[in-house]
Amino acid sequence: MIRNYFKTAFRNLWRNKGFSLINIVGLSVGLACCMLIFLYTMDEVSYDRFNVNASNIYHLAVDDKSPDGQVHKFSSTGDMPGPNFKRQLPEILDFVRIQGGSYTIKRGNEVFDQDALHVDSNFFSVFTFPMVYGKPQHALDDLHSIVLSEEVAEKYFGKENPVGKTLELKVDDKFQPFTVTAVTRKSPQNSSIKIKMLLPKKVNHIDNQWLNFFQNTFFVIKPGTNIKQLDAKINKVFLTDAASEIKGNADKYGDKNKRTFSLQPLLEMHTSTDYPADNGLSDQSNPMYSYILSGIALFILAIACINFVNLTVARSLKRAKEIGIRKVIGGQRKQLIMQFLGESFILSFIAFVLSIVLVQLALPVFNTLANKALAFSYLLSFKLVAGYIGIFLLTGLLAGFYPALVLSGFNPVQTLYNRTQYVGKNYLSKGLVILQFTLATFLIISTITIYSQFSYLMNFDLGYNDKNVVSITAWGIDKTKLPLFKSELLKDPSILRVTADQGGRWGTMAHINGNQQQMFDMKHVDEDYLPLFKVPIVKGRNFSKAMVSDSAKSILVNEEFVKQAGWKNPIGQVVDFFYNKQKYTVVGIVKNYHFLSLTEKTPAILYTMKPDYPFGNIFVKISDKNKSESLNHIQKEFKALFPFIPYQYKFKDAEVAEQYDKEAKWKQIVTFGAVLTIFISCIGLFGLATLSAERRRKEIGIRKVLGASVEGIVRKLSTDFAKLVAIAAIIAVPAAWWAMHKWLENYPYRIDINAWIFVLAGAVVLFIALVTVSYQAIRAAIANPVNSLRTE
Amino acid sequence: MIKITDLEKFYRTEEVETIALNKLSIHVNTGEFVAIMGPSGCGKSTLLNILGMLDDPDGGSYVFNGVEVAHFNERKRADLRKHNIGFVFQSFNLIDELTVFENVELPLIYTGVPSSERVKRVEEVLDKMQIMHRRNHYPQQLSGGQQQRVAIARAVVNKPKLILADEPTGNLDSSNGNDVMELLTDLNEQGTTIIMVTHSEHDARYSHRIIRLLDGQTVMENIMI
Repeated sequence: MIRNYFKTAFRNLWRNKGFSLINIVGLSVGLACCMLIFLYTMDEVSYDRFNVNASNIYHLAVDDKSPDGQVHKFSSTGDMPGPNFKRQLPEILDFVRIQGGSYTIKRGNEVFDQDALHVDSNFFSVFTFPMVYGKPQHALDDLHSIVLSEEVAEKYFGKENPVGKTLELKVDDKFQPFTVTAVTRKSPQNSSIKIKMLLPKKVNHIDNQWLNFFQNTFFVIKPGTNIKQLDAKINKVFLTDAASEIKGNADKYGDKNKRTFSLQPLLEMHTSTDYPADNGLSDQSNPMYSYILSGIALFILAIACINFVNLTVARSLKRAKEIGIRKVIGGQRKQLIMQFLGESFILSFIAFVLSIVLVQLALPVFNTLANKALAFSYLLSFKLVAGYIGIFLLTGLLAGFYPALVLSGFNPVQTLYNRTQYVGKNYLSKGLVILQFTLATFLIISTITIYSQFSYLMNFDLGYNDKNVVSITAWGIDKTKLPLFKSELLKDPSILRVTADQGGRWGTMAHINGNQQQMFDMKHVDEDYLPLFKVPIVKGRNFSKAMVSDSAKSILVNEEFVKQAGWKNPIGQVVDFFYNKQKYTVVGIVKNYHFLSLTEKTPAILYTMKPDYPFGNIFVKISDKNKSESLNHIQKEFKALFPFIPYQYKFKDAEVAEQYDKEAKWKQIVTFGAVLTIFISCIGLFGLATLSAERRRKEIGIRKVLGASVEGIVRKLSTDFAKLVAIAAIIAVPAAWWAMHKWLENYPYRIDINAWIFVLAGAVVLFIALVTVSYQAIRAAIANPVNSLRTE
Repeated sequence: MIKITDLEKFYRTEEVETIALNKLSIHVNTGEFVAIMGPSGCGKSTLLNILGMLDDPDGGSYVFNGVEVAHFNERKRADLRKHNIGFVFQSFNLIDELTVFENVELPLIYTGVPSSERVKRVEEVLDKMQIMHRRNHYPQQLSGGQQQRVAIARAVVNKPKLILADEPTGNLDSSNGNDVMELLTDLNEQGTTIIMVTHSEHDARYSHRIIRLLDGQTVMENIMI
């Protein structure tokens, strides 16, 4: 029996190659998309699970609530919670602290920047990182010991075993030898902790403040502990032990914020958006990504299933005779349902096999898009395979069930005497076509909106000029040499100006208008900074070397600062850094400009030239000509003056564009989604149009004999489908408007959603659909009516 | 074997009700060869469909082999049908995707005959219909006469007690038509009851008895001598 089903199914698929192709292409693309998303999601939820202790490890997080009710969430804590909580609470079995950092390493005459983590020496008893060389137990006992990951070890030592060898690390402005004690395997890509180089935590000073948050603290908790209750106990210990510090801060700085600690399971850390992964943790991801990707994959699979349902039902007339015969000679409805389901399963299975090939092919592109390093071999995990088989079965069932039910219900008397009509209004089929095109239109509107927003961000007038500005990483430079570096560079006429800032983003708080607290970003710059970037001063003046007091007493603020401070006459206002008893006077107002990504609003900024702050970035403006010579010159001077600082540079405008990597990826993902959806929708529509033209052959023949024109017939055949697509557009518009409106709310600087986007999307979909349908319509219309009438 | 009494069948559309069978009563004995004749629309095919349990009557009684089957549900009808009745149609109604062999094998599959037994029986019947050499061909590759032989082979492979034939020669030339009629006569002589709907007086002469219908009623019965 089963063999017979297979035979008929295969021969049917073969005989109707066109339709089989439409279904197989659609389903395999849909399944491949779903597989990729499965793989993605599996990877997401597998984060940190490789740690043997994973389910008992918790990460300490802090909510910092200000008196006005605002809550800042920190994933970092200080040195105090770890040992103090462990000592007083028996539920806490162990703690480990992790702090990110970066070192300059000297190897021979070369210097390198190397990311590192400072960890407590029991790191390896809490987290599971297998070793290539050395033993984990005492690897970090010595103050001058380091553990490398295998890829970093290879970078410095080649293939040989480096245990016992030394690397020179710059600590306290001196290069000091550190001995390699162990080498770990490359960290799993699904690890929030990525080991490159580990140093004992003691290398950094130990801090005795509770309210200083700069590193990650992890606890191993006794299994079976009630975490809510433990949270309460932790906070009790904190409030007791830190009582004098809390009071001192309130008295001295007016700090009335309330901090509450909480334990976050290690296994939930990766997909939590509450607490940022920083200070040595990486790869945090927003589950929104998974949702949107899954949504698109399911859209595509659903559209492919709809094609199958629609084409099978529409083709049922052709199968009617077979169904009738099978019933007459004893086939039961149940058996026929099984037969048709079998066919959809065979088709799904072919698509399934094909989709595995597609996944393999698409994986590199997908990895780039989704920012992952997924490998095809991951597919072999039991859960994934089970998931894939599940999705294959579900697809077969979804696609096959309705057609099986309809087809098996045919009355044999009707079918054998050719009385079966494609009757009724086919609301289901029409509804499904509308659904397909609604999804397609939705994605097209999204694509156009995302493109527009992206180009808006990329072409936004940032308020400063970043063209031909070389940005050099300058952490740890001897800043007294900066003037010399500047004057050496400026001897070259193609180097136009040189300046520096503190690098990174600093924020602090001070008093203004008496006791009013003001938060702001602080920028440490020199007198060339604003002129180099061509940022206008709207009031007052720039810093000047000629005014000696500028470096000690003067500041500039931006317009946003003035606005937040509520100053009518900003020049001459005083900003009081009460905690170190320094007061500064505003000498100039800087026009607002967007030094941050446009995903954030320009904050209040204060500019200082105070000499005791360091520099982290040097900016060199070069002329448009002789760029490569200028770059060589800069590098030569830098190496000469700062031989032990690795030379790293980027063009500022490229750096700015990098801020929109995320948007660029979204753009690509949604475009892929839209193209695939419209493609699969259209091949389905093509199939339906073919069937419709076939079904109406006789009608078209009669119309032609009675004098209908080709255009008239094409119009008649196309309008039916065009109507469905138009309805789809009408449904998609409000949904897409809402979704895009929500998405754009993430951007303080955003486009307005204009009507033209909807009109354009609607026109695109309608156009593609009409082209698809009209091919069949024209073919039917120009056919010789004699043929169609004779065969009937 | 078959006893129908006061059988009724109506076809309704939204506005019109057509009476297809009007209190029709017929009796067919085991081993008989009966021809049903009448003009288009007299209810011949409707009668055949009800006899073949493809369709429900709206009234009256239908006793098949002593069992009242008029109100059997679909499963019971399908069960009775596959074990007892073979069909031959004017348009052959072979499944295009299956070969000659597979078409004939299909009823055996539905009655659950084991594979080796199926091969034996299909070959036997193909041999008898003289179509064995075409066993691996598809229906489209055969002439009309050959297709009808396959259809008859399929109808008899399950050794049914009753064969219902709906204008079995309607699509054939006279020579092929005569061959088919000979085949049916042979089957009848071996004990199979045959009820055949036909327009052809020539074909009807092969039967034992002709029932003539008009407007869903019997107007005449001729016993052939």
